[in-house]
Amino acid sequence: MNRIKTFWLFVAVTVGFMLMVIATLAWLFWQQLQPEAQRYLIELTRQNLVYLFTAAVVLLAGLGFGIDWLFRLYILPLDKITEETRLIHSVNPSHRIHLEGSEDVVRLAEAINESAERYEALHRNVHQKIENARAETEEEKRILSVVMAELPEGILICNTEGRILLYNRRVRELLAEDAGNNGYRENEPSGYVGLGRSVFSVIDKHLVVHALDEIAEKLERGETDAASYFVVISRYQRMLKVEAVPVLNHLREFTGFILILNDVTRQLESDTRLDGLLRSLRRGTRSSLASIRAAIEAIIDFPQMDSEHLQKFKEIIHKESINIGRLVENTTADYAAQLRSRWPLIQMMARDVVEAVYRKADEKLETRIQVLRCDSDSWIQADSYSLISAIVFLLQKLRQRTECRRFDCLLTCNGRFVKFDFVWAGKPVPMETLKGWEEHRIDLKDESLPLTLKEVIGHHDGELWSHKYDDGRAYLRLLLPRIETGEATRIRELAILPKSRPEFFDFDLFNQPGQTPEIDNRPLTEMTFTVFDTETTGLDPRGGDEIISIGAMRIVNGRLLHNETFDQLVDPGRDVPPESTRVHGITTEMLQGQPTLAKVLPQFFRFAEETVLVAHNAAFDMRMLQLKESGTGVRFTNPVLDTLLLSAVVHPGHKNHDVEQIAARLGVSIVGRHTALGDAIATGEIFLKLLPLLEQQGITTLREARAACRKTYYSRLKY
Amino acid sequence: MPEKILIVDDEPSIIVPLQFLMEQNGYAVLVAFSGEEAMETIGMHHPDLVLLDIMLPVIDGFEVCQRVRENPEFNDIRIILLTAVGSEANIAKGMGLGADAYITKPFSNSEVIGKVKELLEPRV
Repeated sequence: MNRIKTFWLFVAVTVGFMLMVIATLAWLFWQQLQPEAQRYLIELTRQNLVYLFTAAVVLLAGLGFGIDWLFRLYILPLDKITEETRLIHSVNPSHRIHLEGSEDVVRLAEAINESAERYEALHRNVHQKIENARAETEEEKRILSVVMAELPEGILICNTEGRILLYNRRVRELLAEDAGNNGYRENEPSGYVGLGRSVFSVIDKHLVVHALDEIAEKLERGETDAASYFVVISRYQRMLKVEAVPVLNHLREFTGFILILNDVTRQLESDTRLDGLLRSLRRGTRSSLASIRAAIEAIIDFPQMDSEHLQKFKEIIHKESINIGRLVENTTADYAAQLRSRWPLIQMMARDVVEAVYRKADEKLETRIQVLRCDSDSWIQADSYSLISAIVFLLQKLRQRTECRRFDCLLTCNGRFVKFDFVWAGKPVPMETLKGWEEHRIDLKDESLPLTLKEVIGHHDGELWSHKYDDGRAYLRLLLPRIETGEATRIRELAILPKSRPEFFDFDLFNQPGQTPEIDNRPLTEMTFTVFDTETTGLDPRGGDEIISIGAMRIVNGRLLHNETFDQLVDPGRDVPPESTRVHGITTEMLQGQPTLAKVLPQFFRFAEETVLVAHNAAFDMRMLQLKESGTGVRFTNPVLDTLLLSAVVHPGHKNHDVEQIAARLGVSIVGRHTALGDAIATGEIFLKLLPLLEQQGITTLREARAACRKTYYSRLKY
Repeated sequence: MPEKILIVDDEPSIIVPLQFLMEQNGYAVLVAFSGEEAMETIGMHHPDLVLLDIMLPVIDGFEVCQRVRENPEFNDIRIILLTAVGSEANIAKGMGLGADAYITKPFSNSEVIGKVKELLEPRV
């Protein structure tokens, strides 16, 4: 606190100056006195020394108090007013000045507060207008992001340097993030997909460069289709077909590229199997045909052939023709099985099937279905078209056989199955008749399917039979497996427009230069940061306290990316003391089965690669990380910024720089305090609010920010 | 002395009519049902021509062809490959390994006899 020092310096100088003036005056006065007068004065002083000394002390004390009063009531409050006025007009218009001081200063503060009210209203007004104007564009952006998120293909948009400007959810699924699971190795792609990150960390650089070269050649030749294709194998051995498409500006200059990723693993497997089937069919038929042809031609060419040879050749022809028949039959069956494996089933409600059957039976067969019972909430997996057609086809057969025009329908659920019963007064359908029906292709009035009833029911894992109830009425029952609605095969999530701007894209990065280690002179607003926080078993890194949780979030182009987080509990290999648990709520039991720091640290290293680390009271967290580096192969050499120190740089007039106080001062609301991720997010928001305040003090680059930090008092605190 | 022809195929259905055909045309016929058997017969009888199926178990027709061509003693043996795969790459591979001709299954008897006669004509 330099103010106190300044104060005492001021007092000392003032008192010293006054003493000097008094001494000079006394000396001049002394010089003018006659020797007797001097002696008389000495005598007088000696006699009244006590009074004189007391008067001097009282005078000095009065002066001191006067100066102190002046300083506390005018100087200090004015200083605070300056600081807080800056705060109001830069980051927190809702902030108001509350201080103690002289009446004049308090009135000044009130006047500034009144101006702040107006400023805030004005600010709100302008902000509202900007918001309204932006809302329309945001809406379009949201729609774009939802469409992007729902695309079955993975989409990556990159600038010319390969920095990711946009990606969708599918990309993350395809290029699964298991970075660091096998420890850290240098020069290995990090495997993280994120805004501002390099695409080469997930896709081999050579492949992309080759594709871009090919695109450049095509563009030069003036081809309209300038896309280039290549295949990559993902970390989980998925075969991904990648289509690279250039992004050109209005001058047809290359400004970036789009990568469209398709998982072709299943398609390839299926194609390979079908291809194999076709090959074996071709080979088999050719061999058999060769035998048949050789034999029959021999018979024709040599009519006088002996009977033994003739008999042999006839047998060959017979045997090989049977072979061909069998081969064709088997191949067709295998082919159908292949097709069926690609025949998708989706979740649907059983009652929807009944409703569709009701309508279709009425329309196609002029047959009425009366639904007597309907379990409303049972789900099945079905290919609705073939299933409904199959049931209506059954009703058609039933109608022909029973000559009934009305059937009752009961939809019931029995444990793991859903029963569709169609009921009539009469005899059940004999088993052999049903088997006959099952072999028929599904054929309704003007619609037909290339599938038999048996195939459709088999594909749905269903069973079909006919019997009678206790009341003597006959029924035809189709039994299908019931599913829990939760166990969906990948069903698309509802496309809901997010409330705030999604963070999957940031086109501002199009104009951003590459990020290199020489980042000291780059503006802070252009840099990528990783704000992080650790929770520990205690506050003594050297005394054996361990990290139990790391939370982090990235800041790219001045935005906190809530979708790009790192949140990991760590097994510390020791108990968590109850007093620490009281702070962060993490117990020893919660950490059982979590990965150890040896595994988590390389993952976090990759997450934070090429960024500036930001933490509150970073010295503590960095010491924690650095003490654990050995044995993991990683070294945190990232530049580090500390929000505690930055706050002290910006607000030297305030003593308290803990997260809560800074947050309140800067108008940041905290959610999830004392979880690593929650604290990291709060730190990130505080950091973003501090940036413009630092700029006001002329601190705009990393070098300047670090230099300012170093100067502040708090940086002397060492862990 | 009639010229010797070795027919190699794992399918008796094709060997029987081919053997008959060759015998009717005045050739002496040897038969082998596998690659190993073919190599043995070639070593013992030194046929003038081999009708060799590609798809054989264990040692396939390509390998037989390669082994025959590796031995200078067998330089004069003509080889006709019989293939049911029929892909151009397959044929190119066989010819590359030293076969003299190929016939794609199914074939006509006249085609086989034509090829055999053509290859067995005394070389100028």
